[in-house]
Amino acid sequence: MIGLLGSYLRRPYKELKGEVLVLPSRTIVVVFCLALLLLPLLTSDSYTLRIFILAGIFAILAASWDLLSGYTGQMNLGHALFFGVAGYTSALLNTNAGLHPGLSIPIGSIAAVVAGLIVGIPCLRLRGPYLALATLAFPLILTGVIFAVPGITGGELGISGLSVLTGSRVGDYYLIMVLALVLGFVMWKICNSKTGLIFHALREDEVAVRASGINTTRYKLLAFCLSGLFAGVAGGLYVHFMRIASPSSLELMLSFQVIIWAVFGGIATIYGPMAGAFVLVPLTEYLRNMPPPVDEMRMLIIAAIILLVLLFMPEGLVSRLRDRMEKVCPRCKIRNIASRHECRICHTALD
Amino acid sequence: MDLIKRAITCLLVVCLLATPVLACGGETQSETKEIRIGVIGPTFYVQGQHHRYGAEMAAEEINKAGGISIGEDTYRIKLFFANSNELLSVTDAANAMERLISVNRVSFVMGGIRTEAVQAMQDIAMDNKVIFLGSGAAAVELCTRVTENYDRYKYWFRVAPVNSDHLGHVSFQMLGMVAAAVAQKTGNTPRVAIFAEQAVWTDPIVAAAQANIPLMDMEVAGTWRVSATATDVTSELTAIRNAGANVIFTALSGPVGRHYVQKWGELEIPAASVGINVEAQDAGLKALPTKGNYETTLNMYARVNLTEKTIPFYDTFVDRFGEPPTYNAGTYEAMYVLKEAIERAGTLDPDSVVEEIEKTDRISPAGRITFDDSHDIVWSPGYVTTVGIQWLDGEMHCVWPPADGSWEDVSYEGVVPYKLPPWM
Amino acid sequence: MIEAVIINGLVSAGVYALLATGFSLIFGAARIINLAHTAFYMLAAYLIFTLATTLGLNLWLSIVLGVAAVTFLGVLTYRFIIARVRIHDTTTLIVTIAITIIIQEVLLIAYGGHFRSVPAMVAGYTELLGVRVTYQSLLTLGVVLAVMLGIWLILMKTRLGTGIRSTAQDREVANLMGINVPRIEMITMGLAVALAALAGALVAPLFSLEPHMWTHPLVMVLAVVILGGLGSIKGSLMGAVILAFSETLVVFYAPAGAYLKGAMALTIMLLVILLRPQGLFGVSFEEER
Repeated sequence: MIGLLGSYLRRPYKELKGEVLVLPSRTIVVVFCLALLLLPLLTSDSYTLRIFILAGIFAILAASWDLLSGYTGQMNLGHALFFGVAGYTSALLNTNAGLHPGLSIPIGSIAAVVAGLIVGIPCLRLRGPYLALATLAFPLILTGVIFAVPGITGGELGISGLSVLTGSRVGDYYLIMVLALVLGFVMWKICNSKTGLIFHALREDEVAVRASGINTTRYKLLAFCLSGLFAGVAGGLYVHFMRIASPSSLELMLSFQVIIWAVFGGIATIYGPMAGAFVLVPLTEYLRNMPPPVDEMRMLIIAAIILLVLLFMPEGLVSRLRDRMEKVCPRCKIRNIASRHECRICHTALD
Repeated sequence: MDLIKRAITCLLVVCLLATPVLACGGETQSETKEIRIGVIGPTFYVQGQHHRYGAEMAAEEINKAGGISIGEDTYRIKLFFANSNELLSVTDAANAMERLISVNRVSFVMGGIRTEAVQAMQDIAMDNKVIFLGSGAAAVELCTRVTENYDRYKYWFRVAPVNSDHLGHVSFQMLGMVAAAVAQKTGNTPRVAIFAEQAVWTDPIVAAAQANIPLMDMEVAGTWRVSATATDVTSELTAIRNAGANVIFTALSGPVGRHYVQKWGELEIPAASVGINVEAQDAGLKALPTKGNYETTLNMYARVNLTEKTIPFYDTFVDRFGEPPTYNAGTYEAMYVLKEAIERAGTLDPDSVVEEIEKTDRISPAGRITFDDSHDIVWSPGYVTTVGIQWLDGEMHCVWPPADGSWEDVSYEGVVPYKLPPWM
Repeated sequence: MIEAVIINGLVSAGVYALLATGFSLIFGAARIINLAHTAFYMLAAYLIFTLATTLGLNLWLSIVLGVAAVTFLGVLTYRFIIARVRIHDTTTLIVTIAITIIIQEVLLIAYGGHFRSVPAMVAGYTELLGVRVTYQSLLTLGVVLAVMLGIWLILMKTRLGTGIRSTAQDREVANLMGINVPRIEMITMGLAVALAALAGALVAPLFSLEPHMWTHPLVMVLAVVILGGLGSIKGSLMGAVILAFSETLVVFYAPAGAYLKGAMALTIMLLVILLRPQGLFGVSFEEER
């Protein structure tokens, strides 16, 4: 019996040992995911869970920004647009049509995809800083529209009284963490596929991509839509978790914060921005729990940390740490732990 | 250089690892019997400071007088202050509320100002059956939630200010008074420019103004809806002057109110300004180069005898904090409402305390406080009426209700006559 | 009505143009999007407030000191922070946002969220064509025109200006031609921050100060430079005029929609750059690789 169980477990164990434990980055990811999933067993404190739930939602948002701006270089300074559009759509469907969050969030995300198209099509003509600064305008214009039709959007009151996600904090926690990890993995897969390669190439040299016979327009729009989709899920989850959709979800500072999380972690990696959100969101809250006057200086401290980290690690915290912990084999391009002297696959000497 | 990098990395790792500890970081219950009360507001702003001032003053007074007695025992009030940062981030506000309840383990909360943030905080308080005494947001919708879903939202009460419908009502009374002064001085029919924030709370006021001003023998010169956060209203004021208005009827709660008073005074726009301007309820208005002179707004408190408690409260507040109380200092009153309800209930059980708060009838610095079915503070002659104040030489003077008792026979000692701006 | 539109439009165009010129200058010379531009503007205003009101110094002296100190700080920021990360575009963006947040939080902790006011340099108002304008607004407009002329002269008539323009056109070639590019960039940064600080000095008496006063001007500045074309002084001027007039027109002809003036200006900006993706007078990025 034990032997049978052992034979079943042997393969996953070997996989674990051969594929995960050999690289510190993979080990950290696995440990981190496990830690996240086990957290509710350690504490049922609703405040702690709340912070991590928000971190999870913002991690999806930051990763979705990375998918668009980090990979394709289509700098989006108005990412809150997708978040807000999906949030308002979900809220309207939930309160007016009584749709269950399981339906209102996906439909909200589709609305964000449409927003992605609406922003994406005109922005195809724009380049570099023009694109960046033009995208900034969209959420601000939408805020004006929201105030102009208070009958639908509730104006400054927003739309309140939304259904709860699961009804319990631990349930919400698992729903959002699993979604964050799964969606993060999906985004990472997309970015490591052929599509992702083209996204990356778009950033490096758009002309060369076009010269290779690739329809750059289609791929740029695809990036806008995909980014809108994932950001939309985050927006829908956020309004159902907070139980209110309000104009503050379109504010300039939120758009900036998304980029801060992403760049802090390291762009064009997907896991970097997610890690950025998972570090900075709890850290900001952690400082709130410090004795005065530190608690009132938390934004200042966070900004100073961001500044220092980026000054010494301009490529982002996670990207830098990974590069320090691991080396790429010059011959077979396989990653190895930095302490190895020869590649674990092809035995080429590493230095 | 390398050392710094390593130090930063270490710092971050430590912080990250320490994060889960924050769950266990809650303070341990102390031995002395105490009632934990949270005060939540944006601490860097006047609103949050006055939340704090009012609560602190009341808690000290109550503790000095022996605390709150429940049956045989007496409890001391222990206050917990939370920075909601709600003017900037609704997420932060909700987090702060959750922290008060779950980490500080408060049994009661008071404060809040920005409607959308208060709604989010309300939900958290209600989830935890924590009584939340609002003292800042005026939106009617916050209290309609109580009537719509009593069992869930009954733990919410609004102690200050009166709701926006009543604010509108009072500002019409003030408009009538000012328009009469304008008509008398100029001999012309008052032409009223409606100058309101684009917001849900001003919509009924603007609609009522457009409908009623012609019925009050006045003309509407036009309606200007500005953003609550606009910084420059020079063009609006020029347009108002061009429209031949001689009265400006305001409904402003955001920072635009201050910029408006500044430009209105500097350009000496020949139209009397009256209505609701929350920024003009703040003592900081006197720092303007024009000292805010002649601006007239509705207010919760003034140094007149609304009740016998008003002037002592007002003077103590000014002595202690150097500025007159705004409506956010309603936390002072909330504390007493809570104390009496707890003592009557003889328990901290929220449901019993809610029942007792509903029965509240006490004389407070702002007037006689009772709550209606929606847990909203009652506005009525003889209860809380609010007042109209006018700025003159850096000081607020009470100008409404008029001293002659022409409004519902209500008159307070210390009311002075309204003065038209000399540039009219 | 039309004279009111013109006068009010011009006055607000002046402030936008002054801020946008500095922003555009440093973008043109160093390709840096400095989102902390209006944070320096705010810092200068607060510094002048402190020197003049709290310490009771002469207003003009406070202005000189305030502008000089902020300019110095701006150069330091460039030298020790921005210059180190500028090869990473997004990182530069975030670093400037972080600087903005730091300035904002320091001011918030030091002064609280209360509004502060600075007395006008010249009190009172006058009537032009029946429209009331404060002397401070007229002074601002005058200074803006003088400064714009000065900047134009520096750019067109001096060696420094030639250096800035050639760096803006092609950094590498400029370097090959013996221009000290890092030095030029630092000087340009100083010039840009000085313009922001000057704007702060002029505007401080016009509006009340508070620690978030950087947000609205930042959005407007971004819209102005995009509309006019990044890196173009003429573009900034035109962009400022167009946006200020569209805002003023909304107020005068659609008073019930005055709250939409900002959104309206941004929409106009979007429409224009969709037709002209490089802005009205901007450098085209097509050939920049």
